[in-house]
Amino acid sequence: MNAIDLSRVHAEPAAERLAVAIDEIARHDATRVAAVAGAGGPNRSAVTYADLARSVEAVESALCVAKPLGVVVRARRVESLLAIAAACGRQGVSVALVPDDGRDLVGELREWLVVDDSLTVPSGGRQRHSLDSDPSHVVVATSGTSGPPKLVQRTWDAVLAAARLAGQWQGLGWLLAYDATRWAGIQVWGQSLLTGGRLVVPESRDPDVVARALVDERVGILPATPTLLRRLLASADAALLAAARPERITLGGEAADGSLLARAREVFPEARITHVYATTELGEVFRVADGLPGFPASWIGRELPGGVRISTRRDGELLVQLSRDSTEVATGDVVERRGDRFEFTGRRSDVIVVGGAKVFPKRVEEILRGVPGVVEARVYGQPSAITGELVAAELVLAEPLAEGATPESIRAAALAACRESLEPHGVPRILDLVKRITTTSAGKIPRRPATVR
Amino acid sequence: MKPTVPDAISTAIRTVLHDTGRDAADVTPPMLLSSDLGLDSLDLAQAIVLLERSLGIDPFRAEAAARPVIRTVGDLIAIYTEAMSRS
Repeated sequence: MNAIDLSRVHAEPAAERLAVAIDEIARHDATRVAAVAGAGGPNRSAVTYADLARSVEAVESALCVAKPLGVVVRARRVESLLAIAAACGRQGVSVALVPDDGRDLVGELREWLVVDDSLTVPSGGRQRHSLDSDPSHVVVATSGTSGPPKLVQRTWDAVLAAARLAGQWQGLGWLLAYDATRWAGIQVWGQSLLTGGRLVVPESRDPDVVARALVDERVGILPATPTLLRRLLASADAALLAAARPERITLGGEAADGSLLARAREVFPEARITHVYATTELGEVFRVADGLPGFPASWIGRELPGGVRISTRRDGELLVQLSRDSTEVATGDVVERRGDRFEFTGRRSDVIVVGGAKVFPKRVEEILRGVPGVVEARVYGQPSAITGELVAAELVLAEPLAEGATPESIRAAALAACRESLEPHGVPRILDLVKRITTTSAGKIPRRPATVR
Repeated sequence: MKPTVPDAISTAIRTVLHDTGRDAADVTPPMLLSSDLGLDSLDLAQAIVLLERSLGIDPFRAEAAARPVIRTVGDLIAIYTEAMSRS
C-alpha cells in the first residue's frame, strides 16, 4: 500500500477533515477499499474511496440546496453513514448519529431532515439562517449500559480528537464491531477514514463470523469491548483464531479483567493490547498498555499525557479533570486499590443493593467466569419486594462440555465458587443457563433484568 | 400446565435449600419458615422470584404497603392461593 501524504488533511478544520481525507485518498489511489460490509459472511461487499467521494459530493450538493437546520442519519449501510457524516461536516450542517432502535427524535432534532441510504435530502423543513454562526456539531447517544441512552452534543474537534494519525497507521484494516452510530464506533470509522484505512464491518457479531472477517480482510486493528473479545476468544473456531493476525487490540467500554488480558495474549501473542478508558461525555481519558487490568496507582493525582488528572472520591468513584482549567467530573466508575494498581470494580449505577448491602456485578461475573465450563456470565439485579433486589445471573456454558460435566454440575460449582468468595448477599439467588447473552448495541453486558424468558 | 400452589411452594423452597447447599427435607404446611426450614429473608426473596416464574404472580409486589404475616409454609400457600383466585 503506497503511503499518501495526508498532512494536508490534518491541517483542515475538524469538521471538514473526513471529506477532505476521502477526496485526497480517492485522488491518489482510486481503487483503495474504504469499507467492507458483510465481512466474514456470504454477502460481502466493498466500496472504494472513489465510490465514497462520489457519495459525499452528491450529499453535499443536496445539502447546498436544502440548507437544513441539521441532518439525522438513519442509514443501515455503513458507507452511507460515512458519506452523510463527511458531507455534513464539510457543509457546516450539524449531524445526528442516532442508533437505529426506533427511538423517537426529541427537541431540536424534530426539525432536522432525515437522510437514509438513498442519500437524498428531502425537501421542506426549516432552513438554516445564512447568518447562523453556531458551529456545526455532532449529536450522539451514550451507550445506555445502565439506563436509557441519552443524546449528547459534541464538536467535530472532540469527535476526532483521539484519532491517531502517524504514518505507520496508514492503510490498515479496522474491525468495526461496534454500532457505527455510537461514540466507540465513530472513533473507529473516523480513525480508519483519516488514515486511509479499510473499515471492516462483520456480517454479525457471531464469533465465527468475526473471526473469519479478521482473517479474510486482514484486520490489523481490533477494537472491541471486553465482552465481545471474551466471546470471540471463547467461542470462535480455533483454526480461524490462529490465522488471525491483529497488530493491535484496543479494549474499551468496559473494564478488562486480568484473565481476559492473559487469554488475549495467549491467542494473539504478537498483538499489542491496550485498554482505553473513555466515556461519551469526556472522550478518551487515558489508555493502559502494560497488559495488566486497571491502571498504576501512581497515576492518581499526577498529570497524565494530554494534561489529564485523575483522582478518587472516598467511596472509590473515579474523578477526572481533563485539563488544569476544566472542572472535575465524577465518572460513575468505581475503582479499588489492589497492590500497586487501581482496578475497576464497576459502575456506581450498576450496584445491586440486596437488603441494604452493595454488590458489584462485575466482581460476581469474574468469579462465575472462572468456573470451568462457564464461557460467559451476566449478573444483574432482580427486583424483590423483600430485599429490594436479589443478585441474579445468567451463564453460557462451553459447547461441548468437558467429559463428566453436566449443566447441573457446573451450576452447582458456580454457586459453590460464589459462596466461597462472596458474602451471602452477593451469591446469585437466581442462576439461569442460557444459550447466549445478548449484548447492548454498544457491545456491553446489559445490567437490567431480562424482560423476556 | 401450571403446578398447584402447594406443589410450587414446596418445589421453590426445596430449590432454595438445594442451591444454598442445605438438605431439602419434606416441606409441609405447618412448618415454620425460619425455625423449621431455616429460611432467612434472602431465602424467602429467592423463593418468591421462583414462584413468580412458576405461578406467574408475585403477591408481595402488589401488597408492599400491607405485607401479610408469613410464618409458616401454610401462610405462604394461603397468600398465593388467594392471589391466584383474584388474578
